[in-house]
Amino acid sequence: MNRCLPLLLFAMLAIAGCQREERDTRPQSALGSGKQPTPVTVLTPGGERPSPSDNKAAAFEANAFHLSQGKRLFNWFNCSGCHANGGGGMGPALMDKKWIYGGAIESIHATIRDGRPNGMPSFRDRVPDDQIWELAAFVRSLSGNVPSSAAPGRDDDMMVHPSENRLPNAATLGKSP
Amino acid sequence: MKQVQQVAVKIWGACQRGYKAMARIDGRTKLGMIGWTLLAGFALVAGAVAQPAEPAIRPPAAAAPLDDGQWTMPAKNYASTRYSELAEITEDNVKTLQVAFTFSTGVNKGQEAAPLVVGDTIYIVTPFPNILYALDLARPGAPMKWKFEPNPEPAAQGVACCDVVNRGAAFSNGRIYFNTLDGHTIAVDAATGKPVWNTHIGNINIGETITMAPLIVKGKVLVGNSGGEMGVRGWIKALDAGDGHVMWTAYSTGPDAEVLIGPDFTPHYDMDKGKDLGVTSWPPDAWKIGGGNVWGWISYDPDLDLIFHGTGNPGPWNPDLRPGDNKWTSGIFARDPDTGNAKWFYQWTPHDLHDYDGINEQVLLDMTWQGKPRKVLVRPERNGYVYLLDRTTGEVLSAVPFGPVNSSKGVDLKTGRLIVNPEKETSTGKVVRNICPTASGLKDWQPSAFSPKTGLLYIPHNNLCMDEEGVEVNYIAGTPYVGMNVRMIAGPGGHRGAFTAWDVAAAKPAWILKENFPVWSGAVVTAGNVVFYGTMEGWFKAVSATTGKLLWQFKTSSGIIGQPITYRGPDGHQYVAILSGVGGWAGAIVSGDLDPRDATAALGFANVMKDLKDVTTPGGTLYVFRLP
Amino acid sequence: MRRIWVMCGAASILPLAGCSGWQSALDPKGPAAGELAWLIWFFTALCTLVWLLVMIALIMTLIRRARPIGDPLVLDATSERHKTRIVFAALGATAVILIGLTLLSFFANRTLAVIGSDAALTIRVTGHQWWWEVRYENSQPNRILTTANEIHIPAGEPVRFILTSTDVIHSFWVPNLAGKLDLIPGHENVLDLKADKPGVYRGQCAEFCGAQHANMSTFVIAEPRPIFDAWLNDQLRPAAPPASPEAKAGHDLFLKRPCVMCHKIGGTMAGGSVAPDLTHVASRQTLAAGTLTMSRGNLAAWIADPQGIKPGAYMPVVDLNGDELNAIVAYLEGLR
Repeated sequence: MNRCLPLLLFAMLAIAGCQREERDTRPQSALGSGKQPTPVTVLTPGGERPSPSDNKAAAFEANAFHLSQGKRLFNWFNCSGCHANGGGGMGPALMDKKWIYGGAIESIHATIRDGRPNGMPSFRDRVPDDQIWELAAFVRSLSGNVPSSAAPGRDDDMMVHPSENRLPNAATLGKSP
Repeated sequence: MKQVQQVAVKIWGACQRGYKAMARIDGRTKLGMIGWTLLAGFALVAGAVAQPAEPAIRPPAAAAPLDDGQWTMPAKNYASTRYSELAEITEDNVKTLQVAFTFSTGVNKGQEAAPLVVGDTIYIVTPFPNILYALDLARPGAPMKWKFEPNPEPAAQGVACCDVVNRGAAFSNGRIYFNTLDGHTIAVDAATGKPVWNTHIGNINIGETITMAPLIVKGKVLVGNSGGEMGVRGWIKALDAGDGHVMWTAYSTGPDAEVLIGPDFTPHYDMDKGKDLGVTSWPPDAWKIGGGNVWGWISYDPDLDLIFHGTGNPGPWNPDLRPGDNKWTSGIFARDPDTGNAKWFYQWTPHDLHDYDGINEQVLLDMTWQGKPRKVLVRPERNGYVYLLDRTTGEVLSAVPFGPVNSSKGVDLKTGRLIVNPEKETSTGKVVRNICPTASGLKDWQPSAFSPKTGLLYIPHNNLCMDEEGVEVNYIAGTPYVGMNVRMIAGPGGHRGAFTAWDVAAAKPAWILKENFPVWSGAVVTAGNVVFYGTMEGWFKAVSATTGKLLWQFKTSSGIIGQPITYRGPDGHQYVAILSGVGGWAGAIVSGDLDPRDATAALGFANVMKDLKDVTTPGGTLYVFRLP
Repeated sequence: MRRIWVMCGAASILPLAGCSGWQSALDPKGPAAGELAWLIWFFTALCTLVWLLVMIALIMTLIRRARPIGDPLVLDATSERHKTRIVFAALGATAVILIGLTLLSFFANRTLAVIGSDAALTIRVTGHQWWWEVRYENSQPNRILTTANEIHIPAGEPVRFILTSTDVIHSFWVPNLAGKLDLIPGHENVLDLKADKPGVYRGQCAEFCGAQHANMSTFVIAEPRPIFDAWLNDQLRPAAPPASPEAKAGHDLFLKRPCVMCHKIGGTMAGGSVAPDLTHVASRQTLAAGTLTMSRGNLAAWIADPQGIKPGAYMPVVDLNGDELNAIVAYLEGLR
């Protein structure tokens, strides 16, 4: 009996590993609205503004399901047509460390929702808000800015770059800062 | 025969030099009148002497009149020869060429335009924001006369495939005509820089842009749209040069009435005969978003009174969504410039699988082919063949590859059909490796030049292959409609570009220069037997027109993808001008600051241009050269 | 005790009730399925016979009175020969039966292979998570029809199916008409079938393909040639223009809201191809790959909360108010 107990506990632990995360396929109002306005600049006259934070943003960025959905939508909504698989083309590269309109997930969300003047279209009303968050989270994964345990792994298509969960953080390129 | 020809050429050269000497002495005084009279005399004499020894292959006189030393349209003349009769700069003295002046365009995108020279003024149009500059050649340092800023909609940059380029303006009757990225055609008074009219013909919200250089024929400004990667239905429009109203529109897909196919339409091959092929060779509705954009070059033959223009690739690139021949994409139309009515059509690449746009330049020539005098057009085509077409009927006389081609196995001259290699057919979810040429073609838009003195066509081109995988594609108006993962690699030999001198009569290369990067610039050839072209590292090169020997080169500030021109300045001397400034599809990795770690960046082009960022930086500058 | 046996017997018969009807391999409605059904029955019958014989032999051996064991070192030559004969006979019978069954299935496969060799109709079925894209091929490209989830075929004529997928492996199985065959990304499989008689036959994805695998079904509707032709011509027309002001409002909303990002409606700006073509959606009998029957109420329910009906499906919850929902439903309902 004494020998069985640790075995049993271990088995229970292993079973607990099967529960990876919740797949929220409906908008979860408990996570917050995700709709707070996001400034495009860091300059704030009269003292700095607290940086935007939203539970929703954090929840999406660390969630493998949302990231994989974002990856699917990135192709479906033709993001890849302009930004390729992150290297850019008609639009700027997304896998480098350069962000024209801010690299926080809130900024990327705002960029997709409202568009930007030099060619980024506005997807407001065309893409449900949660899907915009999924896209924004996936875009962050292209520059290695999401947990690698949640980022998408290799897909079955032509190898165009290392899978998102193996892409180094663009700001440090794998070196310690 | 050849000796007589050479003698005649020498006499002609002497005449020119004589005239030039005269011009130098005379300057721009009253004596100029005498100069002209003398020139006429010389010309007569030369004509009489040269009569029996006329070059075997030459452009029709009506399409390529005697050179006046100006450069009023990007292709030099209606025959698109890009050949200048100026001969002050020769094979012997070109090595002393030096910079006369430079001018920064202030735009860091790909400079694909050809400068224009009219009278004492040089005109340049920049990539987006499409600024038109006029520089005064008569004053030292060529100061700015005026500039015209059309202020195109910045959002247009987001729907412009492959950099926000502009391929040049055109001059006619005291006005400069050019297109803006956001779909406007604008006429500007060449003297004052004041806009005369501005017609809005393209809608960026469906992905439509305009990058091509217009051509003015019989008081009509011919303009076509871009957007073959955005599911934009291609068209060519004729605008009244006087007031800018649209006189006719011919679509590249759809019912005959909209393609302007009527009873005059007599294509040579059976595959192009039938009613409404622009609808029936597509799945339902697909022709409405099927591409066939007219974003390239137009030629005009005044004798036949026909314009010739190509049509771009069918959309999307992924062929699974568009079974059928996809008329009238990736082909060439001959049209009546007055009505737009089609006379004939030939399809280079039916049911295109690899983005082989058919928009390259066509050089109009008269030559003897298999013992018979023929009116032909020569077309180094994106799918890898140099085509020789009878321009009265559209019959293919020959089609010979001018580089490595494995996506097709030749052209069936009986049916006119390209013989597709089934091993290189693409479809969704299938990775096909090592397809040559690439989506950018063995040769893209970069225009070639033809010299009647050598009978050679000077073709700047690529030497690339690619891997392709069709992927799921979704049409959303105003977004890309491609559906293909592309990864380009260097072609056989490892060099990514080449400059080939093509013997038109023998249908084989005379010589080939290998270049490290794709030769994305145009070419110009002169009566001085010098050919000019630029490389993406930034070298501006002069090579011998007969042997290809490098005679002179100059390193400009950025990679060159522009079109060189040569002109006679107000001082009577010959000048050579080129816009430097890397970009375009090939240079998007630099001008768009793309990340080469993604093999599919810039539709796969970035993969083969990884090292370009280490070699050059963006920046638009006009360079003008002269002899000391 | 006996009652329990009876109940068990009855319970074991119950599943067999599922063997008839519109999704059963044992109720063949075409030559391909017929061939397979015959094979199934023959295999089952033969195997049952063999099993019975083995059982009888076993039981006989068990109940035969045990003979006293003599000296194990002394061999009874006659008895040994007898036993050897029995073993070899059983071995031979097994080999003959196995070879026979192999040949039978081989010949059945040959029969299946030629069913569609002269097929006049080719249908390309592309599997998506979790619906079927159906394309009627035609040598005349402008008569190629793309629709979804409901496959009409002419009865009594062989039809060739080309099967492929864009995401994961699916399997196309319409048991009444043919065996199952996988839909593999980047690869084309060919399945031929014929429906002898008009009827509606249910099909089901038969390879686990994700969250909504169970709700990925299809209906093959076999109908007489004239009706099929009329249907095809009807489907080739562009979508009907909205008939009422409400439908017009729905049409405009459809083009302004997320619907336009994925769906196609022929003749409008909506040209998406990653979700079912809706040009004639209301002419279909079911919604969401056979999940719901087509009705105004179900349409509204599906648009209002697809994630409640088919959790994990790629149709998102779109923020629409009641009027907007009604308008879009009114428009879609008119797309016959």
